[in-house]
Amino acid sequence: MRVVIAEDLALLREGLVALLRENDIEVVAQVEDGPSLLRAIAGHEPDLAIVDVRLPPSFSDEGILAAIEARRRQPDLGVLVLSQYVETAYASELIGENTAGIGYLLKERIGDVRAFLDALRRVAAGGTVLDRQVVTQLLAPRGGPTDALSRLTAREREVLELMAEGRSNTAIAESLVVTPGAVEKHITNIFAKLDLPACHDDHRRVLAVLAYLQVAS
Amino acid sequence: MSERAQLPGDLSLSRGAPTRRWMPILAAGLSIGQYARSVLHRVAALTAVLLVAIWALDGQGYLWPAWAWLGLAVPVLLDYTAGWAWRQSPGAVRRVACVWALAGVAAVILLLTWMLTWLLAGVREFWPAWALFGLATAVSSYSLFALHDRVLLAYGRRALRARIDLLTRTRRQVIATQAAELRRIERDLHDGAQARLVALTLQLGRAEMRVAGQPDVRDLIHDAQREARHAIGELRDLARGIVPPLLADRGLVAAVESLAARYGLGTEIVAEAHRTLAPAVESTAYFVVAEALTNTAKHADATRSWIRLTHERRALLVLVGDDGGGGADAEGSGLAGLRARVEALDGHLSVSSPSGSGTVVEVSLPCG
Repeated sequence: MRVVIAEDLALLREGLVALLRENDIEVVAQVEDGPSLLRAIAGHEPDLAIVDVRLPPSFSDEGILAAIEARRRQPDLGVLVLSQYVETAYASELIGENTAGIGYLLKERIGDVRAFLDALRRVAAGGTVLDRQVVTQLLAPRGGPTDALSRLTAREREVLELMAEGRSNTAIAESLVVTPGAVEKHITNIFAKLDLPACHDDHRRVLAVLAYLQVAS
Repeated sequence: MSERAQLPGDLSLSRGAPTRRWMPILAAGLSIGQYARSVLHRVAALTAVLLVAIWALDGQGYLWPAWAWLGLAVPVLLDYTAGWAWRQSPGAVRRVACVWALAGVAAVILLLTWMLTWLLAGVREFWPAWALFGLATAVSSYSLFALHDRVLLAYGRRALRARIDLLTRTRRQVIATQAAELRRIERDLHDGAQARLVALTLQLGRAEMRVAGQPDVRDLIHDAQREARHAIGELRDLARGIVPPLLADRGLVAAVESLAARYGLGTEIVAEAHRTLAPAVESTAYFVVAEALTNTAKHADATRSWIRLTHERRALLVLVGDDGGGGADAEGSGLAGLRARVEALDGHLSVSSPSGSGTVVEVSLPCG
């Protein structure tokens, strides 16, 4: 797998490069801002771009705009956006029309190396990975007894959040320290409560959940 | 000054409601005062002409009507000077003006008497000059004493205004600086402490992979990572409380749209506000909308809600409304806390929430 990294903080960039190289992922370019990211992508044609949201020169949503532009130019490019915070608006924009090969994670997820590398590979392979915080944010303030989401139990919410990260049942079970069978049961409950068509493909499952949450509409 | 005039002699038609009460008894569109004055002037002119005619018919000779003119001139003169004096601002200035008006009339009487006795009777005396001098001295001294405190007051008022200007200016600067500082702190939290903690979790993650065979070390690293993650989460919440990232990155409209979408109330948004708002105005407007939407979602039981962000005469108007149950307590809700923030920006916050007919929160924030 060939990767381009756009991150302006040297400390983090170098750590990330070291982490990827240790795990046999080739880092073909490291850049610090949006325009150089687009140039690097055009020059190296990588499988995946890892992009920080706040990049120079504007230090606002430069990374999101660059990621969207990169995807427009090269639709099969996987883009994993890393951020210090989660904004559902950014998630919606990133996903846009083309849900394949998009990831949006909080930066601290890097610490869970195995899950992070897993997410990286899924995005590069055309999967969708959304941080569980996106789901938390979408669920949080919705009130009212008629809301289907409010009928989910705390555990089911956790499972839903991990599902949004595109994890397999086994990975979810491992993360929550429960058996895969229990996870299976939770997922069936969630789909029944939200009135979603049951499906077992991890990626399509993410999309169904996101469509329900009106992220990928 | 004319709008202060209240003497009946100056009641005119254009002065609005109180005058209109007199309308039915007015002749030819004149006020009572104007009518009385025109009668006075006409009677005076007519009498003067009549006396000259009598004098001429009487065989002329000693010009005695001149004395009558003097007599007639006095009320007309009084009418004008009193009118002028009454138009001065109330208080000391008007009092002084009245004294000046009376003194003026007295001076004219003195002067004319002096001239007429000289011209008609040939009496040449100097005493009226002393009388005039005395009158002028008395009136000047009186004016000086009467207006003395007023001059001081005007000076004091100028000093007060300068102080208010200074306080307004410095307050504005302090708020602007504070808002800019808060944005800088938010940025620093993300790019500084938080980024370092992320780098730390990354290094811990790498370390964890190398000690796969030592479960006790792995557990320690796990704990350290958990602590770092908590610290990152706390910093993130802290930064979000200062200024939500979307507001800092994309401005008020984007942040409000995202907020409304998150509440899922189907809020209708009309937004004219653009990016060039001052950070303090932007943040305050955002937190007002957030609080109002929270209240709507929690208590209102509304079917519709709407947000308007518009500009009007160099102010940002923020309106958040719903068609819910109303009856919100404007002082009890979190909005009371935001009122202080709004007022610090010389803005105004009002809450209208009649029971059963929805709630509208309206804020105007001066900008620029």
